[in-house]
Amino acid sequence: MDDKVFDDIEIALPPVVKQAARDFAAAVAETPQFKAFEQVAERFRQDQTAQQALRAYQEKQTSWRALLMLNALSTEQRAELESLQGAFANQLVVQEYFKAQTEFATLCQTLGDAISESIDLNYAAACGVSCCG
Amino acid sequence: MQTVSSPQLQEATQSLIDNLSASEAFIHFQQAYARFNTDSEARTLLEQLNQSQARMRQKQAKGTVNEAEVGSLRLLQQRVQRNAVIMEYAQSQQEAINFLREINSEISELLGVNFATFANHSTC
Repeated sequence: MDDKVFDDIEIALPPVVKQAARDFAAAVAETPQFKAFEQVAERFRQDQTAQQALRAYQEKQTSWRALLMLNALSTEQRAELESLQGAFANQLVVQEYFKAQTEFATLCQTLGDAISESIDLNYAAACGVSCCG
Repeated sequence: MQTVSSPQLQEATQSLIDNLSASEAFIHFQQAYARFNTDSEARTLLEQLNQSQARMRQKQAKGTVNEAEVGSLRLLQQRVQRNAVIMEYAQSQQEAINFLREINSEISELLGVNFATFANHSTC
């Protein structure tokens, strides 16, 4: 692009845009959705029973990864995995964590959509986020 | 922004949008995009390339690709790479993406979570 075009436009320099980004993050951090998510995430981290249930489920899932990919688990194995998953998901703190996570995600999606529409780029996709994060 | 109730958050979001839109990377991207949109030759060429690549993927899956088709796709790729309007559009888009990633890092660092991950709609 030629300099003449830039001369006619007021450009926001990178430090100014980054400050706007930090102000935006500070405003997000003040929302009830973020505060609730942060609080329950901390309770989840500190909850030994929930952490143990998570580890037990993840360890079994890892050791049976190949069978899972081939959809080749026996009925007993599938039942055991579902039981471990249930033991984790039924913890109150886990349910609260997922609820808070969903509510915070809904807020972020709304904000991300507003940004995406204005800049003609999909915010999440441009930042390299796939469905698996 | 239906779920956004706080005026501070609305104001901060609008300020971020305004600043992003006024950044050099995004001004360049918008101008290159406008030039691309009004250039029918560039748009047709890129559309042809997309269609050709889609056909090639289907044929590769079936194992029915022949040399003439590969040659034709290469020729189309070369024409796209020689097209200044398309190349400027692609390059400016990449620069805008790079800048957006920097901005996302600023936001995520302060929040302690990757904002883009939470802003993503799709799930596995």
